[in-house]
Amino acid sequence: MRIFRTLFFKELKSYFLSPFGWLIIAFAALMQGLSLSTTIKGFMDVPRTESLVYVVFQAPTFWFYFLFLFPVLTMRLFSEENRSGTLEGLLTAPVKTWQVVLSKYSAAYVTYLLLWIPAIIHFKLFTTLTSVPPPFTSAEIYGALLIIALMGALFIAIGCLASCLTSSQIIAGVLCIGLLFVHFLLGLVTYFWGDQIAAAPLFHFISSREHLDLFTRGLIDTRSIVYYLTMTGFVLILTHHLLDFRRWKP
Amino acid sequence: MIEIASLSKRYGRHLAVDEISFEVAKGEVVGFLGPNGAGKSTTLKMLTGFLPPTAGAARIGGYDIFRESLEVRKHIGYMPENVPLYTEMRVKEYLKFRGALRGMKGSHLRTRMGEVMETAGLTHVRRKMIKTLSKGYRQRVGLADALIHEPDLLILDEPTNGLDPNQIRAIRSLIQRLGEKHTILLSTHILSEVEMTCNKVVIIDEGKVKAADTPANLIKNMRRAGRITVEMKISAEEGETMLANLENVKKVTSKPLRDDWNRFAVFVEPKTDTRLRISNLAREKNWPLRSLMRKSATLEEVFVELTRKD
Repeated sequence: MRIFRTLFFKELKSYFLSPFGWLIIAFAALMQGLSLSTTIKGFMDVPRTESLVYVVFQAPTFWFYFLFLFPVLTMRLFSEENRSGTLEGLLTAPVKTWQVVLSKYSAAYVTYLLLWIPAIIHFKLFTTLTSVPPPFTSAEIYGALLIIALMGALFIAIGCLASCLTSSQIIAGVLCIGLLFVHFLLGLVTYFWGDQIAAAPLFHFISSREHLDLFTRGLIDTRSIVYYLTMTGFVLILTHHLLDFRRWKP
Repeated sequence: MIEIASLSKRYGRHLAVDEISFEVAKGEVVGFLGPNGAGKSTTLKMLTGFLPPTAGAARIGGYDIFRESLEVRKHIGYMPENVPLYTEMRVKEYLKFRGALRGMKGSHLRTRMGEVMETAGLTHVRRKMIKTLSKGYRQRVGLADALIHEPDLLILDEPTNGLDPNQIRAIRSLIQRLGEKHTILLSTHILSEVEMTCNKVVIIDEGKVKAADTPANLIKNMRRAGRITVEMKISAEEGETMLANLENVKKVTSKPLRDDWNRFAVFVEPKTDTRLRISNLAREKNWPLRSLMRKSATLEEVFVELTRKD
């Protein structure tokens, strides 16, 4: 456990002892603020029955910046160590491969969660700075944060996998965004082709867009929770085996 | 300390290491030599558990490198080729991190950090970021890292690669001092270094062990060891024919010097001494002779002899 902690804090420091982590937070805060302010403007023009939280996360800009957070956060993790050769020093020290994978994953995930602090502050500010009653309930806030945390868990894991596959950060980033985009498009299949196709329930089941839709209404679906957690576990195990494969391949 | 039994490594079609076997006893400082691409680094990577062997086995301190990799890794200090380091860390921070990875903590870690920084001469740069350090200092950081947990065995992959002569000297004397307490396996292709620091040499080429012995024994058994140079003021033809007729002489070549003297190189059978016969011959024939010496072979010649391709 101490070794895991050492590795974890080393990774976390590499985000926050350089401008890197702060830049991503600034970028995320900016995009979250933009989404919120355009939504509020929209509310002034046309009255809506949905809550503020729901509309903010349905804004077209959301997926655009959301998916780009993951390659930026994860592309460095393994590929950089692979390129500079420090992976050799790391894996010839008495550490277990799962400690390396899990510490890198956790550090990236914690950084990712920190990105959502500005969003929470934004909603809090809305209730404290305006005299209108909050146009959302706490259920919607918690639902939104939960699905953000769940999607992040899986997408960061996918980023780790992509980073593990190559020693080039750029390729790792492109691979990560590619995989996430394919996942996102699979969720849109029923939107384009309708529900007549036999596999429609499957596409509904994996559609992150629909999960977001449900959770930001305050509807917490345990199937989605199980889906994200098992997929995260699966992708992390895959990453572990990829890294460990080096030790096994004849 | 190290027992290697027909260890092989294959990269696709290329056989990088071909059934090598040798042993390193506790306390020995062993030089691991070979031309570029001979399989030195691959062997060391297999020993440290970074790469799995394709076939064969090896044990370090009694632990199998494949099955008990974690135990092996606890007992070795490894400095990889080109010394990869986290360049954005400071020296002290890096050593602390590496020490913690080996399960060290608290005052023990702090004392050891002080000791290795002292040993490697890093104390005055301990607060500097590694990326601002010169190559020589980075090499020392790598060495300090390999030493921090007081390993039984040090594995150094080209520790003096890319350094200037002064830095090479400093690292070499450091290795010499470390050799008093540690078992060391170091790969290099700088031969003078091996002659000075190692008490055993393993030479590999194209993945095969060509020789494993003490430097002195290797030189003694060299064919080239039997070479005598003579400078005499006689014609080249006369000298060559007369000298070639002597006992144990295999071949004679000559080279005219600037003043009308000739230098003859006399190749003789190993473990024979023909110098007296040559001087007797010169006295008999009244040849003016101004130099007669047996050229002692260097490890370099042994190396070239064992690994050249022609």
